[in-house]
Amino acid sequence: MARGVDRGEGGLVARAVRAPAAPASATTAPRVTRRTLATWSWRAFLAFVFLVLFGPVVILIAFAFNDSTVLAFPIEGFTTRWFGEVFDDTLLRKALTNSVLIACVVTVVCVVLGTLAAFGLTRFRFRGRAVVGGLVSAPLVLPWLIIGIAALMAYAALDVDLSLGTVIATQIVCTFPLVTAIVAAQLFRFQRVQEEAAIDLGCSRIQVLRYVIMPHIGPALAAAAIFAFAWSFNNYEISLFTIGFDQTFPIWVYSSVRNPDHTAVVNAISTLISVVQVGLIALAVWLLRARGGGVHAIAGSEMAQGALKT
Amino acid sequence: MAAVSHDVTPATTRPKGPRRGVLGILFAPVTLLIILFLAPLVIMIQMSVVRFPPVTDSGYTLGHYTDVLTNDLNRTIALNTAVIATTSMVIMLVIAIPLAYYMAFKAKRWEIFMLLALVLADELAPVVKIYAWQTILGRNGIVNWLIPGPPVEWLLYSRFAVILTLTTTYITYTTIPIYAAMKAIEPSVFEAAVDLGASAWQQTKKILIPLAAPGIFIALILVYIPMLTDFVTSDIVGGAGGGTYMMGQRVRDLILQGANWGAGAALNFIMLGISGLLALVAYRLAKLNRMEP
Repeated sequence: MARGVDRGEGGLVARAVRAPAAPASATTAPRVTRRTLATWSWRAFLAFVFLVLFGPVVILIAFAFNDSTVLAFPIEGFTTRWFGEVFDDTLLRKALTNSVLIACVVTVVCVVLGTLAAFGLTRFRFRGRAVVGGLVSAPLVLPWLIIGIAALMAYAALDVDLSLGTVIATQIVCTFPLVTAIVAAQLFRFQRVQEEAAIDLGCSRIQVLRYVIMPHIGPALAAAAIFAFAWSFNNYEISLFTIGFDQTFPIWVYSSVRNPDHTAVVNAISTLISVVQVGLIALAVWLLRARGGGVHAIAGSEMAQGALKT
Repeated sequence: MAAVSHDVTPATTRPKGPRRGVLGILFAPVTLLIILFLAPLVIMIQMSVVRFPPVTDSGYTLGHYTDVLTNDLNRTIALNTAVIATTSMVIMLVIAIPLAYYMAFKAKRWEIFMLLALVLADELAPVVKIYAWQTILGRNGIVNWLIPGPPVEWLLYSRFAVILTLTTTYITYTTIPIYAAMKAIEPSVFEAAVDLGASAWQQTKKILIPLAAPGIFIALILVYIPMLTDFVTSDIVGGAGGGTYMMGQRVRDLILQGANWGAGAALNFIMLGISGLLALVAYRLAKLNRMEP
């Protein structure tokens, strides 16, 4: 026992002494080159990954300012006229308005419903909790194509006319479980004891909500709202099957991709939307940073879909 | 002793209050899920077994299922889909595991920026991203512009294009669960392995992969299942020939273009079953592989 400790300390001391004593010996040289090789291969790997991820978007932005209707290299010249055409395109304007309207309604309803479900699932023990948990997480696991088609058939069978309302209804049930996952993850971490302490100290239910619970789940709620908005805005699958004759932005892009006259306008509006999305994410991070430690709420929420514990 | 009795008192006095509370809290979300999610799935299943959907009183039959399952075209499409999704999944894991490892253990202060970059890559409108690949890989795209000689035709409207685009679309959802699982690994485990003389390969095989396994299975749920039903990617960058026609496109076309609801509903239900089964298996495996602290 004592010998083991002895040997350990001796080894540490020996290493500490030896290291500065023989810095340029022949044996350390290959190790250094191997390490720099490893560093450089890591850098090359990371550069490759992020180039593939963001390269397309950069090229799209470059083409948005390209003075040519043909999408081909080299770039011809600089123009901003495609951005003007974005605002002249009535179909596009309608599609954008629809998407923003749908996303706003879906976000508000989902934050409320998702938070309620998160409280119910994390703060109470009751019979059937596993069933409810499974039901809430099912829309996150099942593909949107399946849910969209089922919704289309149900609306047809029940004689409900397709409209923005049906899009909103089906998007809500597919999106609020995401909010539940994000908020539940936060509630799991937060001690129930603190609520009880507040009640023992004479807080009313409203005061507990306002001064104990909200500060804890605030960042998670903000992150959840941003992601719910993005999910709804970007959703193509569910909108396609439940919208009828209207268009949302993804549906418009999709139908314009095949139309060569439209490609420059698609580039321009995509650039604008990318900028807005970068701004939203930056705003979220800034807001959450100000509240402390909430950046992980954003990161966590991306994977929270799968992490919903039941 | 005092702490124990404090714990017991609320547990014995509470049940009546919260039970009513939980009903009130969960009533709205659960009701909506039943009406807008479960009921449509039931109606879809009904459509798959009535003789002439959407007419529901036209008699019941399993004919749509036998038609769908014995159709040679469907078998080819299923094979296409499996090959494309599996290849993409393998490529994504090969990229995501080292990427997640770097973020969890090596990135240090860049960790949060890499995480945000991944989140951003996912949030940028997916349809737009897929469309951007068209301009890169096309006949007049940047790749053919950089490569001398006659334009390379197989870059776009091919299996290659579909796999590449799927890989870039879903990489965020593959990386982040694996990263989260790796984050839970104590870095000292690797130091211990190094002290015991383990090589980098042994560390990867014996420590990193087994401990990250729950994350890998979660990634399978989040990525492999949606890829099986993806129809946007192949629509935009897939070929006109049969080689890239995927199951999602087939179901969509049956429903929206062919108005063949019986076959569409039957195929959709089969995919629902496969998705549910895969999710269940992956979830069990993720739980089994989770190390209890």
